[in-house]
Amino acid sequence: MGNLVQIFAAAVIALSAVAAGEISPGKSGRQLSQSTEQPAEAAPEAPAAAPREGTPATVVDNQQIEGIIGKSVRSSADEDMGRVIDILVNRTGQVRGVVIDFGGFLGVGSRKVAVDWSALHFPDSRKSNNITLDLTRDQVRVAPEYRAGVPVVILRAPEAQPTTNAMSPGSDKQ
Amino acid sequence: MQRPEGLPHPSARSLRGLDWFVFCLADVQTGFGPFVAVYLTAQKWTQIDIGLIMTVSGLVALAGQMPGGALVDAARSERFVAALAIIAISMSALAYAAWPVFGIVIAAAVLHAAASCVLGPAIAAISLGLVGHFAVSERLGRNARFASIGSGLAAAGMGAAGYLISNRAVFLVTVALCVPTLFALSRICDDEIDTERAHGGKPVPHPGEPTATFWELARNRPLVIFAACVALFHLANAAMLPLVASIVTMRSTQWATALVGACIVVPQLVVAALSPSIGRRAQQWGRRPLVLLGFAALPIRGLLFAVAANPYLLVAVQVLDGISAAVFAVMVPLVIADVTRGTGHFNLAQGVVGSGIGIGASLSMVLAGYVSDHLGGPAAFYGLAALAASGFALMLAMMPETRPDSDASPTTTPESCRPPGGPQKFL
Repeated sequence: MGNLVQIFAAAVIALSAVAAGEISPGKSGRQLSQSTEQPAEAAPEAPAAAPREGTPATVVDNQQIEGIIGKSVRSSADEDMGRVIDILVNRTGQVRGVVIDFGGFLGVGSRKVAVDWSALHFPDSRKSNNITLDLTRDQVRVAPEYRAGVPVVILRAPEAQPTTNAMSPGSDKQ
Repeated sequence: MQRPEGLPHPSARSLRGLDWFVFCLADVQTGFGPFVAVYLTAQKWTQIDIGLIMTVSGLVALAGQMPGGALVDAARSERFVAALAIIAISMSALAYAAWPVFGIVIAAAVLHAAASCVLGPAIAAISLGLVGHFAVSERLGRNARFASIGSGLAAAGMGAAGYLISNRAVFLVTVALCVPTLFALSRICDDEIDTERAHGGKPVPHPGEPTATFWELARNRPLVIFAACVALFHLANAAMLPLVASIVTMRSTQWATALVGACIVVPQLVVAALSPSIGRRAQQWGRRPLVLLGFAALPIRGLLFAVAANPYLLVAVQVLDGISAAVFAVMVPLVIADVTRGTGHFNLAQGVVGSGIGIGASLSMVLAGYVSDHLGGPAAFYGLAALAASGFALMLAMMPETRPDSDASPTTTPESCRPPGGPQKFL
């Protein structure tokens, strides 16, 4: 019994040591981001003036930027439009749109549909955890499915221009 | 019909324990289906990683069928094996909920697939071990009823949990459900499960032959025919629900989610309503007419899906899915029990048929997906209906009646004098 208690105490000490070790770099990281936030906002793309050790980096407030894979998408009428599962870019690396996994129940019967980047809006993540799409369920449900090996049909909001024509200007149809 | 003498009399406590065990287990298993992909997407997983997880767990589920069955055959306590498998499943659900990172999820997926390979045969083995060959058809009907009520309620509950709380909540509910599952299992008295009976009776030693278990089964002609027919059934069946659900999503405006949910739940309700009477009829009419009935519903369903346009009509056609599902839920373990009677390899044979089901189901998705992408949804349904019709024809031409004669006229051969080699004409 005494042995067990000793082992347990040792484990607790070891665990707290690990936890402390994990927290300290996190803290200093946050301090770094706060101290460099202002210059980063002022000149986001400017490289460091004098060559220094290490890789150049831009620091952006995490309220200003976010990953979108897996995010819920809702229509402007607050209908559930599924989730972002992939992002489509053209040969020059410009973002054309995203693929959303739409509809279904418990994963059965969902459809993958590509929508234009310009149809998406990204509200402040402090206010809403969703992305808003300028299309309705009725417009998305009948869209051809996104799949490998066939031309991609990218839905866009009515009266909107396609996001970019850099690659093949003639290929975007209404 | 009179019950033959010398039948086992399991206690009401054990039988009720089995009811609830089957019910809770179906609840536990519902979360691990296509829903895993939804959950991992929400956890910012890419489609490539999700596809890899699905493929690996599918392969393990397929490759594990026969070892899983052999393990149950070798076990001295089916209940113990089942309990271990449930603990493994609860651990994998916990891993999904707590650490959705690649290494842990793939380990959890493999663990879950392997445990499921054991649980399938274990339920049938516990049932057979408790009630014996004569009463097992009714028992399997009852199992199917409790399983389908369980998974129907779980689908509804998990849909609500995923919508109202979070996707992660689905797996936490799954972990919590393992507790009543284990409790129900503990209510089944281990002493009342006759291990020998649970394995399909005492094996008859063949003089001068080494015990080559797998090849023994491979020469069991009705078993091989039945496995082929069941594989064809699932080749035609497995892709129908996902295909029709995708069409409902496309055609229905407001009620799409509810209608896809109905496509899943309607067959469960039909199974719950029909399966006990199928278990009884199997003893009165024999196995063949019922299996043919369940098979016949499938090509009709495929044709109706190909021509029907209204989403509500598509949901109504899912009643036929319920009829097939009820028949196969009862008949697959029952026919296997019939044809392996007196071999001691009931569970290995379940693994053999389970492998056939796995191969059929996974090829079904590939085939139907390809046809529907290139030729459209109706063509895929016509193709699946044609496959179902060919399976039905094979069944009609080749499959013998497997109900032992002794069961039809119980006064002549009591259970205690089971024919040592089982129904000889089939071996």
